[in-house]
Amino acid sequence: MLTGCFAAGDSAATRSGDSRLRVAMMQPPRSGLSPLTDDAFKLSRWSTAETLVRLDQDGDAAPALATGWKQSGKTWTFTLREGVTFHDGTGLTAQSVVTSLTAAASASPKPRILDGVELSAEAVDPRTVTVTTATVDHLVPQRLSSPQLSILAAKAYAGRTVNPVGAGTGPFELVKVNGTASATLERYEGYWGGKAKAAGIDVKFVPDGTARAAALRSGEADIVEAVPVSQAGLLDEKLITEVPMPRTNTLYLNTASGPFKDAGLRAAARQAIDAGKIVQSVYEGRADVAQGLLGPALPWAAKLRQGVARTPAAEPGGAEITIGTYTDRAELPEVAQILQQQLQAVGFKVKLDVREYANIEADALAGRFDAFILSRATVLDSGDAAAYLFSDFASKGSFNISRLADAGVDQALTAASETAVGEGRRKAVIDAEAAALATDAAVPMLHERVIQGDAQGVSGVAHDPRERELVTIDTYVK
Amino acid sequence: MRAGLTRAAALAAVLTVVGLLPWLSGKDPALSLLRAKSAEQEPTPEALAAIRADLGLDAGPLGLLGRWAAGLLRGDLGASWVSGTEVLPSVAAGLQVSLALMGAALVVALLVATALVVPVLIRGRGTSGAFAAMLTSVPEFLFSTVLLILAGVGLGWLPTSGWAGPAHVVLPALALGLPAGGLLGRLVAEALPPVLDERWAHLWRGAGVSHPRVALGALRRVAPPLAGQFGMVAVGLSGGAVAVETIFAIPGLGRTTLGAVKSQDVPLLQGSVLALLALGLLAGAVASVLRRRLLGPALREAGLTLPAPRPLKVPAAIPVALGVVLAGLIGCGLLRDPYTIDTAARLAAPSGAHPLGADALGRDVLARLGHGAAATVGTAAVVCLLGYVIALALGFLPNLATGLADIANALPPVLVGVLVAAVLGAGAGGAALAVALVSWPSLTAHAAALVEEIRASRFLLAQKAIGASPAWILTRHVLPSVAVPVARHAVLRLPGIALALAALGFLGLGAQPPSPEWGLLLDEAADYVERAPVAALAPAVALALLAALTVTLSAYTGPRRAGHVRLRKKTSSGAL
Repeated sequence: MLTGCFAAGDSAATRSGDSRLRVAMMQPPRSGLSPLTDDAFKLSRWSTAETLVRLDQDGDAAPALATGWKQSGKTWTFTLREGVTFHDGTGLTAQSVVTSLTAAASASPKPRILDGVELSAEAVDPRTVTVTTATVDHLVPQRLSSPQLSILAAKAYAGRTVNPVGAGTGPFELVKVNGTASATLERYEGYWGGKAKAAGIDVKFVPDGTARAAALRSGEADIVEAVPVSQAGLLDEKLITEVPMPRTNTLYLNTASGPFKDAGLRAAARQAIDAGKIVQSVYEGRADVAQGLLGPALPWAAKLRQGVARTPAAEPGGAEITIGTYTDRAELPEVAQILQQQLQAVGFKVKLDVREYANIEADALAGRFDAFILSRATVLDSGDAAAYLFSDFASKGSFNISRLADAGVDQALTAASETAVGEGRRKAVIDAEAAALATDAAVPMLHERVIQGDAQGVSGVAHDPRERELVTIDTYVK
Repeated sequence: MRAGLTRAAALAAVLTVVGLLPWLSGKDPALSLLRAKSAEQEPTPEALAAIRADLGLDAGPLGLLGRWAAGLLRGDLGASWVSGTEVLPSVAAGLQVSLALMGAALVVALLVATALVVPVLIRGRGTSGAFAAMLTSVPEFLFSTVLLILAGVGLGWLPTSGWAGPAHVVLPALALGLPAGGLLGRLVAEALPPVLDERWAHLWRGAGVSHPRVALGALRRVAPPLAGQFGMVAVGLSGGAVAVETIFAIPGLGRTTLGAVKSQDVPLLQGSVLALLALGLLAGAVASVLRRRLLGPALREAGLTLPAPRPLKVPAAIPVALGVVLAGLIGCGLLRDPYTIDTAARLAAPSGAHPLGADALGRDVLARLGHGAAATVGTAAVVCLLGYVIALALGFLPNLATGLADIANALPPVLVGVLVAAVLGAGAGGAALAVALVSWPSLTAHAAALVEEIRASRFLLAQKAIGASPAWILTRHVLPSVAVPVARHAVLRLPGIALALAALGFLGLGAQPPSPEWGLLLDEAADYVERAPVAALAPAVALALLAALTVTLSAYTGPRRAGHVRLRKKTSSGAL
């Protein structure tokens, strides 16, 4: 009788001799695993849905479902790989690519990778697709690497929502989704790139960090996503891997109103902050002290970076400030309390306002705080940092919590956005970073690492700073 | 009939308010939905406009509400704004899981309650209630984490998370059932001694009726006013199980509701709330039928007698000892510095410098306990008192009160918190108001049940016959019979209130760090239970001591004038 009440999670393993992987993931699916939302990253982490292009280690575009591409003005032409079949048996054609890309481009809202981009796709012949943007866009191949632009079989688009069950092209087929509890994947024998080493994947969604770490310790999971710092110390160091994330914990200072309108006080705040202490205590050394806004996940940044022109600090003299932050990242409330003490030590009077992100974002964007601590992703799906710098520091930026309006910064940011991909763009991005830092509108404190737990005997797991890959064709457990 | 109308009106009002949530909160639903779909996406005007157009948000709150109501009549609960999937199947799935969990937790609760009640029945005397109060005061999330670490990781007996078979039910059912059982067991144990001392009990024993039969008779005698409480606790175990559902990764209705509230997914929220309220009303109706069956025709014929309210016999040594320990703890803490961060002492084990260890920021836990006591106890006591006053006032309108209480009890506290935050904005007072709004129903239902029985008592009929004025009857007879049991009940809920206050912190309601308020301490330490058990469990122990102290002290409340008791005793006779 009771069995009807449970999610049928423990499906019988296929008897092929190979073992299945048990994965504990953090966020449960929010939208039935539609690739047009954040759920897309789950599809790519399970190697079930694939994109035309993938990013290599350096963030450059590499072939995936497309084997080659070339640009001609606003139009990019992509050649599709031969012999690719969807999990439902149908073949990959130019038309399936057009269907998937059109669904994404006309979704409401559009996937974030297409923010501000008008994109249309057309089938030239069964193996060739052209992608055209409204303005010249150097980043089209990088954009198409976003899991949100995964190519799925036509059947995925039949209903009101996009349903990826049995519709991907990857080495694992998604066969069952139990709401927010679990998901089951089986090896897809017809995969174009060979045969996966694992027979299947049993995914469990465990939102609580303690419970997730416990799943690894009790042997209930082979791979555990995002182990919180508070639990990492309890795990065998051999079982965890720290991966630098393109994510910066930054203190944004309100340049439009309140005490931090004064550049001297902003400089005083910057000098007062001892990020090393925060890294050592709150993060237990499992983070990197920030040198700039872009961290070690973008290795090129440190090589290009030069000194920043700094404003001299003024005397805080008891200036009263309110720092806002949120609880969704467990470490931030602790960071806020250390900052409070560090700023009070140099003469600020500090109040804290800590809520959940959903309840504080609007106030932060409206400039209701003098300072706001944010854990910010610096490169989104395209692997390009210019978009983040623009939205956070341009006077027209859509995420300008510092309310910065500085002509010099705007100029540097525009230059970075318009430079073609490559070394030149990287240099322009670093110049823009220096311009933004010179205003002290934001104090980068540290770069987080994501801690992944892999049980003994698991090999071939991806440790991907972009959190796009996890289980690959080579992953297996002894 | 009137009671039915009240319920329908209250139901409609709640669903309307829920439907208006995004407009009440002033938070753009398009932004909340964008965050739910894509956490890091820039909220560009373009993206927000696309969401509004897609969902038809431009129809305005009333237009949407009308559309939803029309759909409801056709049995269509609409589609979730976030996922685009039908609401009905997701709510049905969540409800099924929640009911299974509730059933298991209720079994645990009944076992615990039995264990607390049996000693009273055997000895025929009351117990101090200290143990039950301590059990009730333990936060469910702490029980969950400790059970998960001990039974899941340490012993490896049971799975740590998931919902795939009977083994997955055990730990969450224990975490939910132990505190609930403590509460129910205490309510029964507290009501029993006066009943066991009634004339019929002595007569039965004298006539050679077996001990178990007398015990059963006594249980039957105390059951009617408490039947509603069992129903309410059961309902609370489904909608209010969010913390336990999250820790054990159980896809229940509590989590569904919380997710819907956070992303302002109105259709899903309306569906979940509808299910919870229906459950609340159903449980209320079942409890009411049960109560009437237990009371039998006596209710109509005014043939009831209520057990005399009187102080319980608790040895003074118990509250004195508890008080000394607690006062010592707080006193020592007050002499120390609760705020200075010392990162070198992070999670330090107890030592001379830090007798109870240090928290994650190296602050002295003993100091934080001491400095947080006044704020914690003060706010909780005020909220508790407010709930008590409301309960006494509404209790005299049983028809109105029980319906409202059933509905209010079924609302998850977090939803009420969100609504309060929406109307008042973030602030310290909001949490108190929100918790007051959810803490009155159980007390009110208790009071209403007692009032109804007193009004139907033979004793009052006699009073009226000899010409006692209504005011005399109310203040001399009805009020004392209601006030004392409900007051003891209110005290039993005090620690729960202190925890509920802290649980709303994520909305910006209530205490903010670095305040050493106890609920906040528990919350901050939850991640470190295993690494710094003393520091993490100290606030829970302090809360348990407080709970035990208040409950044992409350045993001394009640009319002390011997004459009154004797008078009431004379009138007692077997209602059975």
